[in-house]
Parts: sequence; C-alpha cells; structure tokens
Amino acid sequence: MYDGTVATLFFYFFAVASIALALGVVLGRRLLRSAVCLIGVLGSSAGLTLVLGFEFIAGIQVLVFIGGIVVLLLFAIMMTSEGHTFEQRPSAARRVMGGVVATAFFVVTLSVYVHTDFPPATAEDLAVSHEDVHAIGRKLLSNERDGYIVPFEVISLLLLAALIGGIVIARKHDPEDT
Amino acid sequence: MFPTPTITHWLTLSALLFSIGLYGIFTRRNAVGVLLSIEMTLNSAILNILIFNRFVASDDVDGQVLVLFIVAAAAAEAVVALAIFVSFYRHRHTLDVTQANHICDQGNSAS
Repeated sequence: MYDGTVATLFFYFFAVASIALALGVVLGRRLLRSAVCLIGVLGSSAGLTLVLGFEFIAGIQVLVFIGGIVVLLLFAIMMTSEGHTFEQRPSAARRVMGGVVATAFFVVTLSVYVHTDFPPATAEDLAVSHEDVHAIGRKLLSNERDGYIVPFEVISLLLLAALIGGIVIARKHDPEDT
Repeated sequence: MFPTPTITHWLTLSALLFSIGLYGIFTRRNAVGVLLSIEMTLNSAILNILIFNRFVASDDVDGQVLVLFIVAAAAAEAVVALAIFVSFYRHRHTLDVTQANHICDQGNSAS
C-alpha cells in the first residue's frame, strides 16, 4: 500500500488525528471521554500500521487493543466511578515535572533520530507488500535457531497466569477467610 | 505540498506519541487514567518496532512477531491492572494514586 501520494496523505491524516486525540486523552478531565479518545488513538495507530503495509498486525491491533483492552478499561472506569468521573486538575508542580520529562525525552530522541544515518529505503523495496502471514506463523512456531517457539510458550503461560491472577485478586474476600 | 514521509518523520511521530503518554503518566491522579496513558505509550512502542521492521529490515518478519508478543503482554497487564484497581477501590473507595501507600489492608478499617 506504500504507493506515493495516497500513502503520504493517509500518513499526515492519521498523524494529525492520533496526536490530537492523544492530547485529548492526556489533558481531558473526564475519564470516560479520555477512554473514547484512546479508542481514536489506537484506531489511527492501526491505520498507520496499514499505511506501513502490515495488514495482519493492524487487524490484531484493532481486535486486541480496541476490542479487548479499551473495553476492559471502560469497565474499570464505570465500576470505580460512582458518578464522579471528574478528576481534579493536577497540581502545577506535577504538570511542570511531567512537561519537563516529556519534553526532555522528545528532544533527546529527536536529536538522536536527526543525527543518525538510516539506510535509505529504495523505492522498489518499499513498493512490495510485506504482508506475509505464512512467514509470521512459521517464525512464531519454528524451533530453529531463529524461531520463537520458547517465547510463544512463555507468553501463553503469562496469559494463563494473568487470567488466574486477575480472578484471584478481584474476587470478594470473606472477612474471616485469611 | 507535504514532503513524502521518510523514516525520520515516522519515528518523530512515534516519539511524540510516547512523550504525550509520558506526560499523562506523570500528571494523572486516577489510576485508570495512568493506565490509559500506559496503553498509549505501549502503542507508540509498537509503532516504532513496525517502522524499523518496514524501513530497516524489510526482509524479516521478526518485528511483527515481536509486536504480537507485546500485544499479548499488554492484554495481560490490562487484566491484572483492572483486578488490582477493583480490589483497591473496594478497600479504599478511591482510585487516587497519591493515596495508594499500603500494600496490605493493615491500618485500614474499611476492609
């Protein structure tokens, strides 16, 4: 999908949308509205992934991030709000500290990027589609030296542990049950 | 009208999103708000990995596999964080992170 003008237009559209919505997530004082803005950020990020040419990853991002995590966060907000979803404004010291840290990170990272010579991507290199689900699956499950079978198994154990841990932590404890 | 986005444009966008998320982590008082910002920084990290996979190592799929792992880890983290928030809210009736200074419920009559 990396073919010149259309991709450029989509890049700038999704970039502006995601930055504006990200500012909405961070600066808004209503949590529910921030969560809805986060849906927009993640959606534009999936769009950017599409512009990069990774259709499968974009689908995964929409499924897991928007369909799973944001819905979970909406549940969390609604279960813990009791009507007052307003958050008081952070103190000036916190805002200054956050602004300094974020700006410092951005300036340092940007200076690194500007002073690095990246290998120039040739036009025909960028023109090919990089969608290769078969290669991803083979890589994920191969037990060769460059395969990812061990991290795959570890991540499945992590998901099981998170599932059980979530249930155990969130369930109601009896007062006499220590 | 606009310059064609190079790898520097893409990386700048990703770094900008990460910085905004960092600001949110520092300024939010509600724990769910902090988690929203964390999800945003995770998302920009994913974008960064995909950019490098696209522009630097476009023959490999290692970046996409790594992104799958990050997505799974993010889902697990959100589940555990939600459980902790629900438990914390049940004990303290607030989600203000500046109030979260006990790891057990001693000295807290609300339990």
